[in-house]
Amino acid sequence: MLGFVEEIVLLQLDDSQGKFVNLPLSAADVVLAGAALMELALDNRIDSDLEQLILVDPKPTGDDILDDVLKQLVETGGELGAAAVLERISVNGEKYQEMALKHLLAKGILREENGRFLWVFHTRRYPVVDDSEQREVRARLRQLVLTDEIPDPRDVVLICLIDACGLLGLVLSPDEITETKTRVEQLSQLDLIGQAVTKAVAEIRFIVRHATSAIY
Amino acid sequence: MEFAQEQAGEVAVVKLAGRLDSGAAQLAEESFTRMLGSGTPHLAIDMSQLAYISSAGLRVLLVVAKKVQQAKGKMVLFGLVPNVREVFAVSGFDKIFAIQSDAAAAVAAAR
Repeated sequence: MLGFVEEIVLLQLDDSQGKFVNLPLSAADVVLAGAALMELALDNRIDSDLEQLILVDPKPTGDDILDDVLKQLVETGGELGAAAVLERISVNGEKYQEMALKHLLAKGILREENGRFLWVFHTRRYPVVDDSEQREVRARLRQLVLTDEIPDPRDVVLICLIDACGLLGLVLSPDEITETKTRVEQLSQLDLIGQAVTKAVAEIRFIVRHATSAIY
Repeated sequence: MEFAQEQAGEVAVVKLAGRLDSGAAQLAEESFTRMLGSGTPHLAIDMSQLAYISSAGLRVLLVVAKKVQQAKGKMVLFGLVPNVREVFAVSGFDKIFAIQSDAAAAVAAAR
């Protein structure tokens, strides 16, 4: 099974082009940090309530991304709210994306080709070798959003992350997105760390939108 | 956290007391799972002595509710104290769980 950071990196990948979908960089960082924190929460390494995020078990997990986050949580002293922790951890979002890509390459889910866009920027492309992981996640999430099924905690996290990334279009049609807006909001709300992710990403989108409109 | 169970006809009344957090989540989930192993689940959960619930505690209730739904049973909560009710309201758990004010109403709704 993939971790949340790997799952969200995979879902952000446009497998027709081997490129990542467009998301403000800082929002992508928040989503990846949130994914790592929620993975730790489901592993019972951290807990949270309406006021704070509590470090429960700082022992290494063996996953380099999660262990890096745990190390930072130890440094914070465990007295911060989820939003403040998210802000701190998200500084490393880009690093976590690279680490997750390495995991996906090592697992044979992605392969790497050196590529070059038409303009000067040199980049790396990550075409999906085996898309069964993506298809499995999409089918599960469709079922959850389109019915009144009580969600599994892991699927609550995924819905929250996908919604925060603006990637619901990967699992739902445009009409379904409109029809299930309330359901998606309800599901996304169920995880307290997820709420902090949703709020932070909405704030970043607001700032980006208004900064852009101020320029033009 | 304390976990106690009694029967009210076909409905199992589970009393949770203390704190349902990461320290208690595993025990609570194991206790519920053992209970759910015996027959179609109809649960009324007494939260009146539950003073605190964290995200880990909420997840236990979510997992139990999913199992109950899959087994075509019913699960109803009652007696939530104000701070637990606030957590339910903020997280939206009050919209996905059936919540009643007292034991009699919860047992009736769980049948």
